[in-house]
Amino acid sequence: MSPLLAVEDLSVSFVRSSLLDRLINPFPLPGFNVIDGVTLSLMPAETLGLVGESGSGKTTLARTILGLVRAAAGRIVFEGREVATRSDFRAMRRRSAMMFQNPVASLSPRLRVGTLLTEPQVIQGLPMPDRRAAAKALLALVGLPASFVDRFPHELSGGQARRVGVARALAMKPHLLLADEPTAGLDVSVQGDVLNLIGELKRELGFATMIVTHNLAMIRHVSDRLAIMYLGRLVETGPTQEVFSAPLHPYTATLIRSEPIPDPRRRSHNLAITGEIPSVFRRPSGCEFHTRCPLVQSRCKTEAPVYRPMGADRLVRCHFPLQTGGQEREAVTRASANQRGN
Amino acid sequence: MSGSLAASGLSVRYETPHGSVHALRHVDIEAHPGEVIGIVGESGCGKSTLVTALANLLPANARIDGAIRYNGVDLAKLDAHRQRLLRGDEIALVGQDPMTAFNPVLTIGDQLIDFQHHRKDFSRAQKRARIAAMLGRVGIADAERRMRSYPHELSGGMRQRVAIAAALLTDPGLLIADEPTTALDVTMEAQIIHLLRELRREYNGIIIVVSHHLGVIAELCDRVYVMYAGEVVEGGEVDAIFHDPRHPYTQALLACDPARFHDRLDRLPTIPGSLPSLTQPPPGCVYAQRCGRAFAPCKTIAPPLVKLTACHAARCHAVTP
Repeated sequence: MSPLLAVEDLSVSFVRSSLLDRLINPFPLPGFNVIDGVTLSLMPAETLGLVGESGSGKTTLARTILGLVRAAAGRIVFEGREVATRSDFRAMRRRSAMMFQNPVASLSPRLRVGTLLTEPQVIQGLPMPDRRAAAKALLALVGLPASFVDRFPHELSGGQARRVGVARALAMKPHLLLADEPTAGLDVSVQGDVLNLIGELKRELGFATMIVTHNLAMIRHVSDRLAIMYLGRLVETGPTQEVFSAPLHPYTATLIRSEPIPDPRRRSHNLAITGEIPSVFRRPSGCEFHTRCPLVQSRCKTEAPVYRPMGADRLVRCHFPLQTGGQEREAVTRASANQRGN
Repeated sequence: MSGSLAASGLSVRYETPHGSVHALRHVDIEAHPGEVIGIVGESGCGKSTLVTALANLLPANARIDGAIRYNGVDLAKLDAHRQRLLRGDEIALVGQDPMTAFNPVLTIGDQLIDFQHHRKDFSRAQKRARIAAMLGRVGIADAERRMRSYPHELSGGMRQRVAIAAALLTDPGLLIADEPTTALDVTMEAQIIHLLRELRREYNGIIIVVSHHLGVIAELCDRVYVMYAGEVVEGGEVDAIFHDPRHPYTQALLACDPARFHDRLDRLPTIPGSLPSLTQPPPGCVYAQRCGRAFAPCKTIAPPLVKLTACHAARCHAVTP
């Protein structure tokens, strides 16, 4: 089966040299790659979780895939065809949709829910005999009462606004749904609701989903595969269950161990990781994680690791990946226990 | 100075043009020096109103009933000037958003000096020395340079550390941390939890941690109060709350947290229904509409607080000691 979406060696650079810049400085600085050499693929009907801390470039990657941010290098292939020009992206956006991070802010405050829901079809110039009926059908799809067509976004609760966001994303019957932090700011009881809804509609309509999130506890229940990002690069990809039970990259391991456990009997007494994600403007040499890695070796500081396959369906970018045995992970625990404080 | 804190029969309502909003009803909590108290609940449960009431920062349209006793003094009955003296001296607040906690046009050092305004016995140089020591204690390396930085030059995690340092500089007897890690990444969240845990060893006042995140509460607190729709529905030691929850809402809330399940779930558990209106709170139990165990009296009679052990209590008709 060929992938629905393939991203090959994609890079995004945020330094734009304007005419004025070029006059002042004829030798511009090399670009800062916010996304650097990302390769990943998404099968039809698959759910991929894109996980990373803020500043890791996960939202930028999602936006680049839909053409909202211009890529500096690399290829995007959607349904077997390369997407490069503006019209390619426009055609792609007709079959894909994005749920933006802040559900209320991404709905225009001056438009009623009914108008908002049918806007995608109007923009794409699709025939729609009865706009109101179409909006009501979409509301029914996401389990909201039909009377909501006349509401304004500020009259919705956080969970309802997400539902409207889901309905709007699915208005065009997309083959690909990109959801950027679909549950950020929601209570746990409502978070499950929104994710169950996306899951049900996915089974019904058969679209593929890419969920951008930093919420590990949630993503392990809703994704088939995971891609872990750090400073604009993928550090590890693999099936969700395998990544959680035996992470290969030390970053993935520390991320999983950093998650607070809702059980007072299992309090973690040592810190899995210290320091913060560095700035892309000062990308560390060699492996970008070496400044925080509990298992850092001298080679990591000078030589950038390559992305290499491990086992059937897993890739890792690390010189010394953790093995599936327990020994190495114990080493992580010990090393991080010695590194307490800041 | 540090003393015990006790709120008894505390109710807060906001007078609005659309009627009174009963944001807090007959809340009883207590906290003793050296304890870390957790307040957990979902949005709209009244946890923010509770901490704002404890810090005496309620807006003008709020009406308070009941008593908040801190060190034997009823805070609700103090005049504005005495309240002002307590705030910032005895009671310190660490907010949710480290981005907006500081003035963007003043350096960190200048702002931290202002935080010590009531300490007339220290000279400016002494205050600076205290700041440097405190920044070191909250894990900020190179304190001298950081004092000359402006807030935008610090990362979110660093700003939250500075906010904690600012709160501790006033030697408060009561430190309230309102969602201290919500705006942070998980690796930074783990570090702030670690920091708060280290600090409590040397700090002998009361720490109140407010969060909707069960993991943060479990990691940090000694005792926990669970809130729902303006009421404390259950309170007890952290182990009892997480391992022997008795109120149906606490049980449902714990069951919803995906972090508690190791294996993949096809459907994430939820709590069907929605919060009752706070303008017209139901006469019976606030959770009755959504409760699987509700029976006739739940709809009409407000449940009593049932004492289960010395410090574990739940407000429910279906609970027996």
